Amino acid sequence: MKRERNRKKTVFLIVWLAIIVALLAAVLIIGLPGERAETIAETMKDGVLHDRNRVSLFGLLDVSPALISAFAVTGILLFCALLIRIFAVPRFRTVPGRFQAAVEKLVGFFGDLAASNSPHKTGFVAAYIFSAGVYVFFSTLFELFGFQAVSTEGTSVTLPAPLADINGALAMGIMSFLVILVAGFAVNGVKGGLRVLKDFSLPVSMSFRIFGALLSGLMVTELVYYYNALSFLVPVVVAVLFTLLHAIIQTYVLTTLVSVFYGEAVEPPAPSEKKKKLKGNIKS
Amino acid sequence: MPLNIDIVQILLHMLNFAILAGGLTLLLFSPVSKFLEERRRHFEELERENAEKAAEAERLREEYERKLAEAGDEIDRMRAEAEKEAAETARRYLDSAKEKAGELVSGAEAEAEARKAQILESAQTEISELVLTAAQKLISSSGDEEHTRALYDAFLEEAAGEERASAERSDGR
Repeated sequence: MKRERNRKKTVFLIVWLAIIVALLAAVLIIGLPGERAETIAETMKDGVLHDRNRVSLFGLLDVSPALISAFAVTGILLFCALLIRIFAVPRFRTVPGRFQAAVEKLVGFFGDLAASNSPHKTGFVAAYIFSAGVYVFFSTLFELFGFQAVSTEGTSVTLPAPLADINGALAMGIMSFLVILVAGFAVNGVKGGLRVLKDFSLPVSMSFRIFGALLSGLMVTELVYYYNALSFLVPVVVAVLFTLLHAIIQTYVLTTLVSVFYGEAVEPPAPSEKKKKLKGNIKS
Repeated sequence: MPLNIDIVQILLHMLNFAILAGGLTLLLFSPVSKFLEERRRHFEELERENAEKAAEAERLREEYERKLAEAGDEIDRMRAEAEKEAAETARRYLDSAKEKAGELVSGAEAEAEARKAQILESAQTEISELVLTAAQKLISSSGDEEHTRALYDAFLEEAAGEERASAERSDGR
């Protein structure tokens, strides 16, 4: 008797939900009346160049929304770090719980990466790639939330991944190169610095690698979201492929590259054959 | 600039990242690294202590085994000593017992000899008393010859019986 009633209830719920979804989909696919703010070509162009939808930075300067994203990511990450520092770190135990294990894994991963690629002067590069890794990963995921900002033209603009902007990507590449360069000069003197300068293509390659990877994700995402018909189910796949995977891959690539080049810059003179070979492999 | 590259924005991105990197290093990386390092050291310490304890235990075990073996030897030695001592004591007792027995036997022999002499002496005294009694009786009743003969016979018989008893007594000893 009771089972019979439950079954009826289930059938009713399924049918009800199916009708609602079908009607909603019909409305959306046929198209809601209303005008688009921009054409697909404009959206794509703006995705690459960020020349139209600009956001005012405290009224001082009109900047690309990616810079706002970058500030937002920094704010969120620092806030979370502060919370962890205040509430979690003092309660760390010798045998970690789940959360502690996750934090330890995060720090330990970059620490190990730095130690394995750069056996000398590991401390600094470990801290740097930890920050860079966390930044690249979470700023790429930031795109998924689709936070909105108001552009200077008064339209709504979705905050993109900071590194999908050419300026953000260049900043990342140049800064990583500077870190390696300065470390080379500081540890091995002029000779070490010159050895790093030999790889002058490094900042460009790092910048454009990350820019290209994230921009491609952005383009596909923009394309998908532009059309209502593609807004069902497809974003799940797109989000995972172009956001989550890019976040993981780009984080890993950038941190590995920085630690490898840093390790080479700070290692004592007379580098071994093995290292040269490794570097050659990564470049190709 | 091509591609909308903007130096000011690049610098702003750098500033942003510099703030983030410093903050994350101070708030998260350094404390957690320190904690990990401390824990690593803690476990290394534990491992070292365990190894030391194991070595100590092994050393003690060896020492105890050695001591045990030594104690076994000691016990064997003591047992042999005790056995030797016991044999010695037993031999001494046996010797003294034998000596005592010899003394007792010779003492008894001497005593028996003395008693025999004493008995013989007392027998002789009795005989002389008997003779004396007989002589007195003879003197007092020297009537008829037949009576005298009877008396004489009686004396002889008594004397012989006395002699036999004395011999038997000395034989019994």
